[in-house]
Parts: sequence; structure tokens; C-alpha cells
Amino acid sequence: MTPWFLGISFLISSSLAGIILVFLISGSLPIFEKYGWEFIFGEEWYVGETYGALPMIYGTTVVTGIALGIALPLGIGTAVVTSEVVGRRMRYILKSVMEIMAGVPGIVYGLLGMLLVTTWIRDLFGLVDGNCLLTAGLLLGVMILPTVMTLSEDAIHVVPNFYREQAYALGLQTHEVIIYAVLPQAIPGILGAIFLGTTRAMGETVAVMLVIGSLDRIPDPFYNLFAPAQSIASKIGREAAESIGVGLHWNALVALGLILFGMVMTLTWLAERVGWTGRLQ
Amino acid sequence: MVVFLTSLFIAGFLSVGGLIPHTVDARQSVIKVSGSSTVLPIVARAAEAFSAHHPDIRVLVNPGGSGVGVKSVGHHLVHIGMVSRRILDDEKIALPKADFRIHVIGRDAVACVISSEIHDAGVTSLAKEDIRKIYLGEVTNWRQVGGPDREIITIDKEAHRGTRHVFMEYFFGTSQVKTLGVDLVTGSNNEQRTKVALSDTAIGMLSYAWLNNDVVGVDIRDGNGILALTDENVRNGIYPMVRDLSLVTDGMPNDLSRKFIAFLLGPDGQRIVREMGYVPVR
Repeated sequence: MTPWFLGISFLISSSLAGIILVFLISGSLPIFEKYGWEFIFGEEWYVGETYGALPMIYGTTVVTGIALGIALPLGIGTAVVTSEVVGRRMRYILKSVMEIMAGVPGIVYGLLGMLLVTTWIRDLFGLVDGNCLLTAGLLLGVMILPTVMTLSEDAIHVVPNFYREQAYALGLQTHEVIIYAVLPQAIPGILGAIFLGTTRAMGETVAVMLVIGSLDRIPDPFYNLFAPAQSIASKIGREAAESIGVGLHWNALVALGLILFGMVMTLTWLAERVGWTGRLQ
Repeated sequence: MVVFLTSLFIAGFLSVGGLIPHTVDARQSVIKVSGSSTVLPIVARAAEAFSAHHPDIRVLVNPGGSGVGVKSVGHHLVHIGMVSRRILDDEKIALPKADFRIHVIGRDAVACVISSEIHDAGVTSLAKEDIRKIYLGEVTNWRQVGGPDREIITIDKEAHRGTRHVFMEYFFGTSQVKTLGVDLVTGSNNEQRTKVALSDTAIGMLSYAWLNNDVVGVDIRDGNGILALTDENVRNGIYPMVRDLSLVTDGMPNDLSRKFIAFLLGPDGQRIVREMGYVPVR
């Protein structure tokens, strides 16, 4: 017997996603009707004149990339050590710390980032100013590290001992056991952790907003991580309140939201395909 | 278990739908205010003092910028908007039904500010033309305007901010200017001040009352004269970017809002205006 309320819960949850999608699509139609592809590939954003989303798409992609570059090695490395190497007590402490950190709101990271990290980055690299892509990416990396670490650790920890015992019985060293026996079993779970971390990084608004410089421009040259830029979420965060619900400006911001939604959906799809067997089909 | 879950579920539904009364004190009336972060310090302080006199009235104050203030009032999301610039024609066109009433509560100046390190190095005044060139990206080093050999960090504000509006209208004659020389964009006065203070080579724009030791205003050279940034020049309007700080309502304010506005215009309210570093109107 399936209790009726489970059915209702299912209906509500699934229709919510539908409602959001319908809202995003209907809200962004006017901007795509007027600008078409130029909205996605345009590089200039002047309210009342022209709307181009490319600098924001670029910013979101780059800061998420930097964040992953930091959080993946650190997070998965820590997860392996926590699960396979340290004792039960140490594991408990590490996990608790990480889980508390995962719950710290973005504004706290944002303020710390604005007051401390921007000046550190500036002094460390001898920059004129520290509000830039690298600072935003670094901050995001620290923010998603706990999520990546603690979920990866869960995935590694639940691999049955049977596999470890078999591997040891074959005469493998500890590091070989981890690499050849444990990690392959944990890959779907680790991918899930990476995916959750990635989407949090892509959607993070206020922490990025305070340190990225909020300049709607693709850096020159484009790989200059020390240049100020703008992400999709920070752009919406800066301008949504002012455009509430009316006009092309609002449509443009909703369309930015739709693009972010599309980027996350693509990732979800990829993650599911990869997660199925642990490798790309 | 099923019964428990079901009742939880129903309770959740009802509370979301508002059928279970919220535990807000029904005897308290609320005035909602939002808008300019320049006007906010006055209104926030006044709200405290006002509520002390009227314990039955709560004043909720939120920042967001002048644009947010105008739109929120126009859409009836708040009772009173805070604005630090005039209401634009575009805004009147976008909100044809709104009947904006302006209540001026104080005066302020927009200062062109620089990091104290640059000020100490001798840049105490800038020509109007120099500031224009800095924002257009034609001047990028302090050396070009008589300062030390340091790259300039040019800080702009979000397009809808009242402070930016006044600043750009003075220097460029329009707020729709494309400031290609800009390095950073900030929101509130607080954020702008923090970013200028954290940098040692920045230029920006800030409400007069927000200046401090790290963020110093510069005098402006226009033609042959120097327009010095002093209390006196702000009060008598000689300093160019002087502006009214206003509350805006849609139509005549309701009883509660009228009481609050009257309080701000009264002796207690005007004293708060002065205490916060702005210039009273009465």
C-alpha cells in the first residue's frame, strides 16, 4: 500500500520544478523575441539599451571551475583520509566540523571574503585590487569543500569491507586497496557529491557578489583571473530588487535565471549518465 | 505513524496557506519603508525613536537603493519609499497609476571620494574634466592628475543607485553614461565605502555623511574656481552635487505614515538628520 500522502508529496515536488520552469520560460520570452541569440552571445549590458549575457555566463563558468579545482582534490583527498586512514574518533570530529561548515550561510563567507580574502589576494599577487575572478572562485571553493568532502566520505565509507578484505588478501598495499578496490565502488556517490557542490557554486549569490567586482565584462585576455567580472547569480542579486516584475530589464534577469537553470540541468543530465556505470557511456 | 505524518502534513499546508493565525501581535500596526541606503540611517534611527513614543507602531526599514524605493511604493509593496534623487520620467511612465508625493526630510551632497593614501600624497582636488576622463578610462594613473605613480581603481555603483545618478548627471549631464574606465561596481554606501577604504588607490562616489578618515572627499575644480567640500558649501548649495533626501508615498500618506513623516520633520526628527551627518531642512 502506498500511503496517499506520499503520492501528494510526489505531485507537489514534481510540479514545483515545472512551475519554476514555466515561470522562467514565460518571463524570458520577450527578451529572446527581441534579441534572440544576441542575448546569449552579446557582451554589453546597459539597462534600457542592450542586454548581453555572455560576460555573466563566462563569469559563472570560470568561478565554478576554480572552485572545483580547489574543492575536488582537497575534498576527495580529505574524504579518503577520513574514511580509510584515521580512527573512528578523529573521523567523528572531522565530519562534525565539515557538516557545521557546510551550513554556514553565504553572506558570512561573503563578508569574510570582502574584508580579508580580497586584501590577501591583492598583497599575495601584488595586484592593484583583490576583487576578481580568482578571489570569488577561491571563496566558492572553500564554501563547497565541506559538501564535497562530507558526501564523498559517506560514499567511500559505505563501501562494504568485503572489498577491502579481498584486496588485502591479494597482497595489495593500503594505497592500492583504496585506489583499486574502494574508490571505484564509491564513484557514483562521489560524483553526486561533486555535482551538489558544483550546483551550489553556480547558484551562490551574495558571497560572489561581494568579491567578484561586479563588472559586466569578459576580462582581457579572457584567461586573466585577476580581473573583475560578474556571475549570473551576482548579476541577478544586484539588479532584481530594482526591476521587480516589470519591463525588459526584468525579462533579461529572468532569462539569466533560465540560462543558469539550463546549465544546472545539463550538469544533472551528465551526472546521471556518468553515475550510472561510473564512466561515460 | 501514518496518522502522525498525515497531521503534520496537513498542519504544514494550513500554516503555509495562512489558515493557522501567525503569532504576530495583532495590536501592533506596521509601517514598511524601503529604498535609498543614503536615507536609511536617518529613517532607521528615527524609527527607533518613533517607536519609543508609539509602542503600538512598528517601522520596518529595508535598504535597496532609490530605484527600489520608487518601485516598491509604486507597486504598493511598502508604505514609504526612501529616495536620494528626483523621480525619473521613466519611472513615472512605468508606473502610470502612481501619484508620487515627495516629502523632503534633509539635504545631502554626493562627494567624489578617494582613498586617504592618495589624498595624503597630495591629491586634494580634481578637475571636473579629470574625473570625467577617469570614469571614461582615458586617465588610468594618478600621476596623470598630479598624484603618485599608481594605477587608479575606479569604483562605480549599480546603475539604479541615487548617488550614482546625481554624480553622473553632474559630470556627464546624463546618468545613462557608459563608464568604460570602471574597475568595480558596488551597491550601498556601506559597500562603496568599505571597498574604497580597503583599497589604497581608489576613486568613487559617496554620500557626504559617509566620509571618514579612510575615505576622503576631494574638492572639485570647475573652470577657474574650486568648489570645496565643506559643511558650509553643502548647506548653501555652492558644492555642486547637493541633493534632497526624501520620503515618497503613493498619493497622500495614510494616518500612520503621516505621523511618521511629521515626526521626521519635527524637532526630534530633524535633530536625527543632523546627528547622522546630513543637513536638516527646518
